[in-house]
Amino acid sequence: MVGSLGGNEMQFDFFTWFGGLWDWILGILLWFWGIIKWLVIWILDIINGIWALAAVPENFMFLFRAVVMPGLIFLLLALIFTVWFTRKIWARVQDRRGPTHLGKYGGYQLFADAVKLMAKETIIPDKAKRWMYRILPSLLLVIVLIPFAFIPWDPYWNIMGPPGQAFGDLSVSLVLIFALLTAVPVFSLLIGWVTGSKYSLIGGFRSANNQFASEIPMVISSVGPAMLAGSLSMYSIVAAQTSIWYIVLLPINFATFLVASIASVGTFPFDAPVADSEIIFGWRTELSGIYFTVVYFAEFAEQMLYSAIMVALFFGGFNGLPFLPGIVNFLIKWLVVYFLFTVVTSSFYRLRQDQIVHLCWKYLLPLSVLNVVLVMFAIVYIPGLLPLVIGG
Amino acid sequence: MSPDILDEASEIWFGPQHVSAHGWATKLTLVGDYIVECDPNAGYFHRSAEKCLEFRNFRQGSMILERICMMEAFLAEYPYIAAVEKIVDLEVPERAKVMRTIMLEFNRIHSLQFWWGQFAGELGLFAMLLWPWVDREYTLDAFETLTGSRHTVSYETPGGVKYDFTPKFLTKMEIALSRVKERMPVFEDMLSGSPTFRLRTEGVGHYTLKKALKWGLSGPNVKACGYPMDLRKDDPDPNLAYDMIDWEVPTIHNEDHPGECDAFDRLLQRFKEIETSLDIIDKLLPLLPEGPIVDPKARAKANRLPEGESYGRVEGTRGVTTVWLKTMEKAQTPWRAKIRGPCFASYYSLKHIVPGARFADFPAIFGSLDPYPGWWDR
Repeated sequence: MVGSLGGNEMQFDFFTWFGGLWDWILGILLWFWGIIKWLVIWILDIINGIWALAAVPENFMFLFRAVVMPGLIFLLLALIFTVWFTRKIWARVQDRRGPTHLGKYGGYQLFADAVKLMAKETIIPDKAKRWMYRILPSLLLVIVLIPFAFIPWDPYWNIMGPPGQAFGDLSVSLVLIFALLTAVPVFSLLIGWVTGSKYSLIGGFRSANNQFASEIPMVISSVGPAMLAGSLSMYSIVAAQTSIWYIVLLPINFATFLVASIASVGTFPFDAPVADSEIIFGWRTELSGIYFTVVYFAEFAEQMLYSAIMVALFFGGFNGLPFLPGIVNFLIKWLVVYFLFTVVTSSFYRLRQDQIVHLCWKYLLPLSVLNVVLVMFAIVYIPGLLPLVIGG
Repeated sequence: MSPDILDEASEIWFGPQHVSAHGWATKLTLVGDYIVECDPNAGYFHRSAEKCLEFRNFRQGSMILERICMMEAFLAEYPYIAAVEKIVDLEVPERAKVMRTIMLEFNRIHSLQFWWGQFAGELGLFAMLLWPWVDREYTLDAFETLTGSRHTVSYETPGGVKYDFTPKFLTKMEIALSRVKERMPVFEDMLSGSPTFRLRTEGVGHYTLKKALKWGLSGPNVKACGYPMDLRKDDPDPNLAYDMIDWEVPTIHNEDHPGECDAFDRLLQRFKEIETSLDIIDKLLPLLPEGPIVDPKARAKANRLPEGESYGRVEGTRGVTTVWLKTMEKAQTPWRAKIRGPCFASYYSLKHIVPGARFADFPAIFGSLDPYPGWWDR
């Protein structure tokens, strides 16, 4: 064929084009399929890798401990028990009966409350930042639950095992716990800020004020046990108390830690952040439904956490009656300390914010610093002390 | 106050949906943590009691009054009865006079028990909120035995009282009073003996006697300044039995600030009020004469009143409670009844007491003044 371009012009043959059209479509489809296949294989590979990792006995046991016992599910059950226990103690102190109807001694009351709260409508105020409002309460609960990983419930059966093994306790876990707990009032302040109410904003600032007042005495109170044990690891501090519990040596430190931790949680009598006769419900005023439930759980989880830290630092943790498993020893002492905690919270009038700072800085801080100095002198000048406290 | 302070001020409404504001709303202007302005607002609890009184006859009217403030039902209904008894010439029997006085004082104890709990609850101790309320149940049981109702008692009537004391009631009253006596030291420990309570109330909500009288405060809020202004002594009602016995007007004299009072003094004053009431009841019970409890012609006499105008008043728990009554000739209902509750003055005096206090002190201040919204909104 001769054309204007000397035989080099393009020939358009409709049927050839039409015949190739399907190949082209098929090619595109195959290309997409390739991507999807690659993605699926990639995901399966990851799952495969995780599975292989989880199948390693040490890893599997770590996962099991983190999720079941003494991890998430154990904590959830403990939380349910704690709420019931608190309400009963409160009721007895106040000359009431507390929950009685659902279950034996009102044990199922929390389930009823939780169902009721979750079934409620979530009302988000117009002025609130919506996604912050939705995400912050859950973050608060997570940040409160993470430190439980470092609580030495048992000589072996912890979330983080004994130091030296795989997933062993960190050498600075005490510091890490306090670092995580410092974030709690930040979340309170943010919740107060983003929920769009003056009451909750005031409550948020009061919560920050509480932490500002109580954090320093609390951390300094924990220096005494750490110095005696010669370690900042929770596990080592507990392991050092085989001969003698530190409550015997450091009763004042325990008292300052107890008061400072109550102030840090922000429950009675340091409940200025949520004072209902002044600012309705403080930084929780605008939370409703499931978000309120989560924040409510977080408060109880924080109280549990502080009680557990006190057991570990001052009451010898898993040390105790030798014929009982370590975790049972721990839980018995934990119940006693929690009872003490709750009785203290239910028997004083609410303090004003400036009075909280006064109390924490004028009384708790000098006492705890004095105790640190005393411990230093004791370690240097009492010859038999160090072998006794470092013990096992 | 200079205007540049107010640039950083924020306004916050304390009520009407606030959990601690029982049907009232106060606008607070805050600078930081301090209250610089307090603007009390009435009108959230209005139930037109005065208009209702114009449609009730003279034996029914007192029941409207006791619904205004159920905590002091016996005391609230008395001024109306007193006003009616001043217009029409009724002969109240001696026995009814003594019984009335005993019930007024018994009711004062009940109202103060309620106040203890409420005040402690506002300051954040829920144990102290509920302990007096458990004791209060005994008192309410006694009320129920006497009148058939726990709160809306409608006990007094023009010319006497409606129900006679029964042995069962006297036993229950003795139980309730002995319970109060037994638990007074406990509550004194938990309130005035508690260091955290003193921290919250001492030096808070401070005012002088001169200002209190200027604002129109009455009752315990004035007596806490050390001034024995008590209607029971100053103007004894001929139909009550306060002049039959010897008793002292309870006052607080604080040597640190004579002639002034703060929230803590007002608490001590109310403790003394309870002691005085117990004392009066103890002295009156043996004097209880035999005889009728109501003027036999009261029903006929109080049915239609002559034209007149009268002013009945009583020393209530929260201050002087008065009713002004005007009737036309042969009237079955009042032409106009004006109620002057004690708490209007104490509520609006917040405007002068509160500025300068911290926000957290606000519940302590209004709690110690014992305001009840029924009395200013009626």
